[in-house]
Amino acid sequence: MIDLSNLNVKGNDLSALTAENTALEIKNLDLFYGDKQALHNVSMKIPKGKVTAFIGPSGCGKSTLLRCINRMNDLVEICRVDGNIELQGINIYDKSVDVASLRRRIGMVFQRPNPFPKSIYENVVYGLRLQGINDRRTLDEACETSLRGAALWNEVKDRLHDNAFGLSGGQQQRLVIARAIAIGPEVLLLDEPTSALDPISTLTIEELITELKKKFTVVIVTHNMQQAARVSDQTAFMYMGKLIEYSDTNTLFTSPKQKQTEDYITGRYG
Amino acid sequence: MGKWFKSGTPWIWMTGGAVSLSLIAVIGLFLLIGWRGLSFFWPATVYEFDMQNEQGQKSVLIGEIYDTESVLKQQLLDAGVIGLENEGDSLQRFLIKIGNREYVDLDFQWILETIIKDKKIANDIVVFERTKNGNFYGYLDAINEGKQKLNIEKSGLVDELNKRIERALEFRDKEHALLTGDIGRINYDLDRIRLNKRKLELDGSLTAQKVAEFAAQSDSLRAEYLALENELFDYRDQAKRDSVVVKDMTGRLVTMPLSYILDFYQPNDMSFMQKVGHWFHQVYKFVSSDPREANTEGGVFPAIFGTVFMVMLMAVIVTPFGVVAAIYLHEYAGKNNITKFIRIAVINLAGVPSIVYGVFGLGFFVYILGGSIDQLLYPEALPTPTFGSPGVLWSALTLAILTLPVVIVSTEEGLSRIPSTLREGSLALGATKSETLWRIVIPMASPAIMTGLILAVARAAGEVAPLMLVGVVKIAPTLPVDGNFPFLHLDRKFMHLGFHIYDVGFQSPNVEAARPLVYATSFLLVTVIIGLNLAAISIRNNLREKYRSLEH
Repeated sequence: MIDLSNLNVKGNDLSALTAENTALEIKNLDLFYGDKQALHNVSMKIPKGKVTAFIGPSGCGKSTLLRCINRMNDLVEICRVDGNIELQGINIYDKSVDVASLRRRIGMVFQRPNPFPKSIYENVVYGLRLQGINDRRTLDEACETSLRGAALWNEVKDRLHDNAFGLSGGQQQRLVIARAIAIGPEVLLLDEPTSALDPISTLTIEELITELKKKFTVVIVTHNMQQAARVSDQTAFMYMGKLIEYSDTNTLFTSPKQKQTEDYITGRYG
Repeated sequence: MGKWFKSGTPWIWMTGGAVSLSLIAVIGLFLLIGWRGLSFFWPATVYEFDMQNEQGQKSVLIGEIYDTESVLKQQLLDAGVIGLENEGDSLQRFLIKIGNREYVDLDFQWILETIIKDKKIANDIVVFERTKNGNFYGYLDAINEGKQKLNIEKSGLVDELNKRIERALEFRDKEHALLTGDIGRINYDLDRIRLNKRKLELDGSLTAQKVAEFAAQSDSLRAEYLALENELFDYRDQAKRDSVVVKDMTGRLVTMPLSYILDFYQPNDMSFMQKVGHWFHQVYKFVSSDPREANTEGGVFPAIFGTVFMVMLMAVIVTPFGVVAAIYLHEYAGKNNITKFIRIAVINLAGVPSIVYGVFGLGFFVYILGGSIDQLLYPEALPTPTFGSPGVLWSALTLAILTLPVVIVSTEEGLSRIPSTLREGSLALGATKSETLWRIVIPMASPAIMTGLILAVARAAGEVAPLMLVGVVKIAPTLPVDGNFPFLHLDRKFMHLGFHIYDVGFQSPNVEAARPLVYATSFLLVTVIIGLNLAAISIRNNLREKYRSLEH
């Protein structure tokens, strides 16, 4: 079962989060794909500077919830969202919010590594170039900082101008993380970032996540419970589009309050 | 047997067979037109035939064996040929190219093997290529300078002739340069003065001062022209100075001024390497010189130029249009029935017969659009149309519409093959949809766009029917690009290899002379299309290499 010795023992009291310590607050979120409701009245607070994991069986809505946070669901034509997600007190679903600048503040890394067909360097500075930054020195610095931040610098520093497709899967995923942190987001969303990777690359990424939380608020979706236990400070368990239980990771894995959570983490389903 | 069928072997044989058949058909076609077209440039052996007809009359025929066929004796008997009593059931008949068009009734003659008494290689025969009346076959007799016969040994005649033809050609080149260069410019300028004057007249702002100015300009140009004209006549006289005396097959002495001879060679005295050299020279002349004598002689350079120029112009027009339309259809248009309908309509456009596009081009582009442009921008030239008559621009536009569906369909295909994860990756970094399109999607779709362009070029380069309505002509006096401002003359008519094939093959006054040119031009057209395609394919492969990500 779960190796308890690896747990992050922090003792976060989620109910006592102040507004300052909250990175994101999700309030009564309902989401519909056409007529089908995919999320039911989800409310939660995501603390700043911590790693929050969403776990649950396939199709439970954890990825959907994650994609709500930077409005990636806007791309799905039949998708409709009710309720609020507040980033520092501002509802991101408000009409006045510019989606592009929102996504600059909330970065995202996807399940499969998706580097652009450009050089490593151009991949990392893509977001900066979008903002109109073309000063060579600024870009060089940002590139190095981000690649160091993603623990990739030492491996690629001699071939920054090679095509990014020459990298291994794990390196590509770290490159994508570097690309996301290059534009200095406040929140980083990771959508099953290690599901397409081998165990060694997975380990590297997990170590990286622990590093990343020093600077960013990290939200990670994973189907791997050990991973959630290893890297996260608090964990949300979702089932059938509902948030079943949300507490600090230690509590959730050692003394779950809900029967469904217990069944899931002890492997009785899912 | 049943097992053999189950194993799939017959299926493999069948599919393989289909591929082989297609391959054989393509290669066979290419070899046939290549062989027929290119062998024309090989210096054929010239024979001298001693003939005696049924009545016992003797004659001599000198020429190349152009074609051989066998005919049935019965057929000949029915046609009233006599004197075949001792012959077999079928006889050989030769088509002889005897040239000397102005001295004989037919420059291609069929002769039956029975009347040939002797056939020998005509030693020392000289073949002259002339600006008029095709080839001349004969024996060198003498060279005249003016009226004076030069006193040279027979053996030195060829060298002397070479020298003097070179001199005559030099003057002809000068004459040509003068005609197309300075004289062409003067004529062009004179025409512009006339148009400027007319323009002011139409505006009502033509003052006496302006009239005088124009008159002064015209006068100075005319004076310049007169000086150049003298120079021109001088060149012509210089080129005409020498002449050559040749004995033809009937023994008659013919005097030809050298100004009228382009080249000469002695096919029967050439070594193999000389023949190879001659062949390359002839091929070079074919692709680099202008046609002569209603296109039955000379080269096809204007047609090559016109074809390539028009196709490139078309590519420049069709690519942005097609790509932009495809992007709208694929990225922005709502995914509903109207979009589906438009897409089907676009695909069906590819099935409309090309002549219909030609009619549309003539009616819409030439008459309506071109006519309006003339009214607005070139009123001074009216009633002579500028853009209101068929021209290379309208041809390119018509073919652009014709090939638009191909570009749209393949661009859309390319857009849909780009993984959505890449679009999401870009959007997640704060890019807007259009930034994602410009920075990620379109570059990655560029190989597909190039594929569309390749198909478009392949189709456009081979189209002839619509062009006959919107811009192609048998002989274009000038290329659409020249040294006169604005250098590109998109209103001009042009020549096209495809139309050239039709014209030479079916509208020619001299069918036999033109036939090899049909093959040679076909071969050239196919080569040009292949060349254009290879260029586009290599660009596409480069792009593919660059955006290799689609593989995973």
